[in-house]
Amino acid sequence: MPEIALTAWQILLVKVLVILTIVPVGALAGGYAEHKVMAHLQHRLGPMYPGGFHGWATTLADGLKFLYKEDIVPDAADRKVFSLAPAAIFVPVLMIYLVIPIDRNLIVEDLDVGIFYLLAVGSISTIGVLMAGWSSANKYALIGALRSAAQLIAYELPIVLSAAVVAMYAGSLSVIDIVEKQNFPFAIWPPGIGLIAFLVFTTGAVAEMTRVPFDMPVAESEIITGPFTEYTGMRYIFSHMFAEMGHMVAFAGIGVTLFLGGYKPIIPWSPLEVVPGVIWFGLKFALMIFLFLWIRPTFPRVREDQLQKFAWKFLIPVSLVLVLAMGAWVLYV
Amino acid sequence: MAVDERKLSDARKLSDARKSGFGLGLLKGMAVTLKHLFKHNTVIQYPDEKQDLPPRTRGVIALKEENCTVCMLCARECPDWCIYIDSHKETLPPKRAGGRPRKRNVLDRFAIDYSLCMYCGICVEVCPYDALFWSREFEYSEYDIRQLTHEKERLADWMTTVLPPPELEQGADLPGQPAAAAASATVEATGARPANLTSSAVEARPEQAATAPREGSFTTEPARPASSLPPQEQKRETSPEDAQPAPGLDTEVKAAQGLPGATTQPEPEVTLGAGRAAESVTQPADTAQVGSDATSAPEGQPPQKTPSVAAEPAVTAAEPVSQAGLRNLGGQAPVARPSTEPAGVAEDPEAAYRRVLQEQASRGSSPQVAEARAKVARVKAERGMARTATPAPATAPVQSAPQATPTEPEPSGAPEAQGPAPEPGPVAPTADEDRTDG
Repeated sequence: MPEIALTAWQILLVKVLVILTIVPVGALAGGYAEHKVMAHLQHRLGPMYPGGFHGWATTLADGLKFLYKEDIVPDAADRKVFSLAPAAIFVPVLMIYLVIPIDRNLIVEDLDVGIFYLLAVGSISTIGVLMAGWSSANKYALIGALRSAAQLIAYELPIVLSAAVVAMYAGSLSVIDIVEKQNFPFAIWPPGIGLIAFLVFTTGAVAEMTRVPFDMPVAESEIITGPFTEYTGMRYIFSHMFAEMGHMVAFAGIGVTLFLGGYKPIIPWSPLEVVPGVIWFGLKFALMIFLFLWIRPTFPRVREDQLQKFAWKFLIPVSLVLVLAMGAWVLYV
Repeated sequence: MAVDERKLSDARKLSDARKSGFGLGLLKGMAVTLKHLFKHNTVIQYPDEKQDLPPRTRGVIALKEENCTVCMLCARECPDWCIYIDSHKETLPPKRAGGRPRKRNVLDRFAIDYSLCMYCGICVEVCPYDALFWSREFEYSEYDIRQLTHEKERLADWMTTVLPPPELEQGADLPGQPAAAAASATVEATGARPANLTSSAVEARPEQAATAPREGSFTTEPARPASSLPPQEQKRETSPEDAQPAPGLDTEVKAAQGLPGATTQPEPEVTLGAGRAAESVTQPADTAQVGSDATSAPEGQPPQKTPSVAAEPAVTAAEPVSQAGLRNLGGQAPVARPSTEPAGVAEDPEAAYRRVLQEQASRGSSPQVAEARAKVARVKAERGMARTATPAPATAPVQSAPQATPTEPEPSGAPEAQGPAPEPGPVAPTADEDRTDG
């Protein structure tokens, strides 16, 4: 096999292109999965027509529809900010994918500060949401943006702390190191701590994605998708649909990496090692996605004050305790 | 106090539920949705799959035009005033010389505006002649609201979608049959009557005859022994409801439609037990006569065996009819003679007049109604006498004028051949008399 000599820039370009393809496709697939899984959880069929077989092309057709829609900017809107906001929301979501290891070698860039980067980049979209809400010159958008900011701040902390617990256990911030350290998935071992950390992370992730039951910021029945009320066409799907779906896929990847042992088998048993890491990652990833989809039709929306109370008075203390417990575990076990 | 108690117990239940464990409720909820994920999905994908709607679904209202007498009851009862009826009166020449010209309502327009209709079904309920039916069809939406007004052609088209009426329940009273009479009949005359119970079956028949008045098919037999029919046929015969299935049903049903009419006499006179014996003596002769005129003359008159008891006419008066009967029976096997009347015996017109007057009085009819019915009886008796006096020759030409009119009996389609109204005699409307030249 001839060596193909590629410069670092060329390699980077290929990787970025792959990511740029995977994210929208993943968002479309995630959207379809959401339609169908949610429908069946609610004893419905969901879309059945587009594409012929069980409506597989539903989200594709949806996207196409949005492509054709008029791009409207309200008169009173701050035009520049309004136009930039979708990018500010969507690009950070893309950046999360850079450090998710699908297999030992299938990662765009194994950064030494992988988790730190993940959490830092993951929070940038909040700024985009605030931009969108403020520049829309719409009271619903503003309310939604402020709720969104408050919620993202409140739930970023439990996520950061639960990720810190994992980093303490692994003794590294690199995602590859973290995965390699997990002989058993972290959610199983160390007992108790791992599981609780996983639950805290999942809860925080659902809130970060502003999905049900934490969808106060985009509550369609009261503030009409909040910050994205004024958006139409492609800007709308990039800022809302793709961002939410991309977020979901990204958080599922992070969850798999940090808590479910990433590309490694569920238990350290040599016959299972034969199965390629991509398959293991895919299985765990599907499990995480299903968990997110499962939560959505099950629970009703949480009230704004309950949502804040739950984060500050319960999740954050719990994750602080987890950090303490993990410290003790690292020191004495 | 009670309310407070309830509130307290609710609160207690709630707190108990909360005590059961933190987060357990969430897990329970997730279990519920997960269960549904694996349940068989019962969604019917409508335009592709269609639900089998219940038989009594209120989809659209169908019109059986030939049953409509333009009585306007439906239009008047309609809460939305969404039924439009136009009609005119036609005068038909008398059936025979010296007769009275008959009047008949002709339906010009019958339309239902489904953009107003609220599907209450009152028109269907109120129609005394079974001209309106519910159909299960419901796909008739239109882009233009004016198209939702269905004219009579379209309403008639819906008839093809009307289901045949359901079978009577075991032991149910015959529709249109007074409960007391039904009780006196020893065997339920409805569905399950075995074919060999001749006497009881026959017992039930005169009532049938009395309550199912039409003269569309006289030449079939009022007196045909019930046992001569297969049980299914009997069933059809004995339930007047069955006389109005949708057109386009199989011919067997059509043939059966003609049958109840066969047993009939004109409505007003005969309804209840008291009048029946006398009626069966006088009236059938007349009706048989008319029927023979209408179809072909020969078999109106020939001497018949005379049943001694009114309740038992059917057994004895069986004499095969060769041709005319077949016309109405749609080619059915040999049938018995139409008449229960002793040949040559006719009631004196004046006597009939007085008798009917008395009957009506004893039934509590209003003087006007009583008189009208008595007059009708007198006219009939007169005609009966005239006919017995001059029997029609076997080759007598068929009277032509009335034949052409729509009042003539048709094998299955004409109004008279259709099943009778379920009402027993007392309701007999005079309009009907006019129309049928009773």
